[in-house]
Amino acid sequence: MASSHSEAAKMEQIITEFFAKSIHIILESRALSVSSRSSCLDQAISSPCSSSSSSPSVRPRDKWFNLALRDCPAAIDNIDLLRRNNLDFIVIDVILVQKPLGWDPMSLSPKRVLPRSSSLKERYPFSWNTDQEELGLDTNTEKIVERWVVQYESRKTRDSSSGTRRSSNVSLHALYKKSTLLLRSLYATVRLLPAYKIFRELNSSAQIRPFTLAHRVSSFCEPFTRKEEAEMMKFGFTPVDASSGRLCLSVMYRPSASDVSSEPSTPLSPQVITDYVGSPLPDPLRRYPSGLPSHGSPSSLPFLRRHSWSHDHWRASPPSITYSPSPTYSESHTSISNASSRRLPPSSLPPHPTEMSLFQKKNSGFDECYPSPSPSIYYPGSLPSKPLLRSESAPVSIPNAEAAVSPGYPNTNRHNLPSTAPLRGLRCVSKNDRGVNTMQTGATAEKLFPLGKDEPRKYSGIKISACSSPQSSNRSYQDDFDETDFSCPFDVDDDDLTDPGSRAESFDHGHMAEAFEAGGFLPIRKSQDAAVGALVRMLKKAPPLRQDFSTSEHLSHSTCPETWNANNIQALEAPVPASMMSSGLTATRKTTTDALEEFHGYREMKNLLLTRGSKPQI
Amino acid sequence: MNCEACHLKELEVELFEIREVLRCILHTIVFHRALGLVRPKEVDLELFDITYVQCGEVELEKKIDEKIDQFVCWVEKHPNKKSQICLSFYEVKNKQASWFSNKIERLYWEQWYIYLNVAQHPKGHSNKSHHAKVVDPGEGALEDRNARSAALEASLREVLFQIIKFVNEKKDHVPPIPNLEGAVSFPYEITIPSSSDSAFGMDMIKRMLQTGHPTMLS
Repeated sequence: MASSHSEAAKMEQIITEFFAKSIHIILESRALSVSSRSSCLDQAISSPCSSSSSSPSVRPRDKWFNLALRDCPAAIDNIDLLRRNNLDFIVIDVILVQKPLGWDPMSLSPKRVLPRSSSLKERYPFSWNTDQEELGLDTNTEKIVERWVVQYESRKTRDSSSGTRRSSNVSLHALYKKSTLLLRSLYATVRLLPAYKIFRELNSSAQIRPFTLAHRVSSFCEPFTRKEEAEMMKFGFTPVDASSGRLCLSVMYRPSASDVSSEPSTPLSPQVITDYVGSPLPDPLRRYPSGLPSHGSPSSLPFLRRHSWSHDHWRASPPSITYSPSPTYSESHTSISNASSRRLPPSSLPPHPTEMSLFQKKNSGFDECYPSPSPSIYYPGSLPSKPLLRSESAPVSIPNAEAAVSPGYPNTNRHNLPSTAPLRGLRCVSKNDRGVNTMQTGATAEKLFPLGKDEPRKYSGIKISACSSPQSSNRSYQDDFDETDFSCPFDVDDDDLTDPGSRAESFDHGHMAEAFEAGGFLPIRKSQDAAVGALVRMLKKAPPLRQDFSTSEHLSHSTCPETWNANNIQALEAPVPASMMSSGLTATRKTTTDALEEFHGYREMKNLLLTRGSKPQI
Repeated sequence: MNCEACHLKELEVELFEIREVLRCILHTIVFHRALGLVRPKEVDLELFDITYVQCGEVELEKKIDEKIDQFVCWVEKHPNKKSQICLSFYEVKNKQASWFSNKIERLYWEQWYIYLNVAQHPKGHSNKSHHAKVVDPGEGALEDRNARSAALEASLREVLFQIIKFVNEKKDHVPPIPNLEGAVSFPYEITIPSSSDSAFGMDMIKRMLQTGHPTMLS
């Protein structure tokens, strides 16, 4: 009896360690490293590429499942909490936080020193590390790109297990071996998913990015809507049987997550220019199907430019950025790529299917591709003077976006950005709004989450009985872990549940710092801003787009404003900015000559079109 | 003992891609089978946007690289051929001398088959040195090349997931983890087609005889 009891205890310990290791593996490759925390923890994350073999000493933690991991403060904090609470169900959400248009690191910095209010803890009694809330909840958009679920599924009905499974008496060795195998595959999988690319990008470069990664470890989760779920792919690891249940691990991930982090350095063939310059020609009438004349003032320059830019975006301009990986360029997107709001305008102009597919192929730099810093330019329906009117513009775009999603574009399409992005943006906005509200009413919010309070109690109750027995091991089970939960299990219950705040606060600062410093935003802010400003000025001062062609276009110039009509505009406007983009931004690249050739060819064609088009008007 | 076999999806590669592709696949498999204490080492492929994991053992790395070198040599001598590489894991058992004369028996418990179709491009493409970068003036060719490379990356990713799925689904046949120092817990061998054409087949037959359980070799 005693031996079986200790077996059960060991099994419990394996399960707990499995949870800990899983969290560690996931967060090690998702939680951005924090320089500010290195002082208190001997962590050695300098870059994700560094091999962990730099620390050759074997720590007890490493022996578990024979997998030595790098120190990861975020994981260690969570694992501590896990041990104290003995949860059997853990959700790790990896969240992509996109910074808004005008975000200013300095304006956010005061938040770093604000102590986290206890209301947050009350609101999420059993969630911790809600990093994204320190990033300026009210202005960022967030979207869950990965949801990991680690679960110990206890077998409630004993009888059914005996029939279907022979594992009712799983040996410790088998459990340990299988969990080891499962964790190996977890380790490999984590690095194959798209979010890893984002993590690497954020971690490796000191460049300002308009996005960051946050994570939330929690004992419960808000289920995805059907739509969200449809956008995500699922990978379920084969569960590992234990004596009274099984260890389950699964992940839902957004296959398109890495789209945000498209690198400007991606090499592209010059062929792209051909598409991009020439493509408006075959069917110039298909864009702006309706409603154009009703927006804005027809004669204003911004208006013209808006269409040219956004149109040109919407076509296939992204490749153009790849020719200018200069600092100026890459900084430009930090200021302008406000995720959701930026994407709205295209969705309000339902793209033609061929445009869609074209875009899907080439949207590698969607965010980066809005070259003008003035948001009003992009909003057909919003006031030009208000930069960020998500709440106004978002609803407008929903129907279009939905329409764009449905017809024949599989949700698994990695590059379905144009259609899905507005929706995500909208969801994020509403989430944020709600987040703000709950933050404000934090004192009462506790009632909203009664489950979170009860759940852990229940789980810890299950485990305590097992853990109270002496721990011994034939392997390295008896490591000098922080095993306070095992030695005095009855302390776990109420203390942790009712007064977790102090602990949480102690490391929340770190996370705050993590979120800001990992990407290295602060140190180089000034130069980045300056560069952005320079770009803005350049764009503002840029001559009207058609000026270069004024000799050939004087006819249409004069007729255009009066006979305002969408088709006319398209024919005139659409291609010009495209060529300007390519020639302007790629002046120093090898492909310039190609582009120029294309451009000349195109100009000829355009002139042809113009003369043809202007005949009836004259 | 069961001998499980996993046949990985065939990959169409060019000569210069063989090394990276094989390294990535072989190390990923071994990482899942080196059940001793491992300090994982992440490696980014140069040709593809993929990160894989090694177990950070120098010896292992050396052995894998050697085998890959041999394989590349073989491919260069035998162009336009589909080829396969087999990574096997076995246990060593002593047995009394029998008519087959070896006293040590290898009990294979798992075999991984990697199939490569090495594409040889007739015009202007390098097929002698994997270092040579193909400089093709035609834009179409360049685009083809990009498309092909992207396709290979996707396929390679698929193969990696295939490995992960196999590792997940089949766990029972893996022997108990021996208490050894070092990461590599089970003996393994990498079989490549050798200089004589029939050698690979011979090898397989020999192994079947040694194992005595050829049934799983589908």
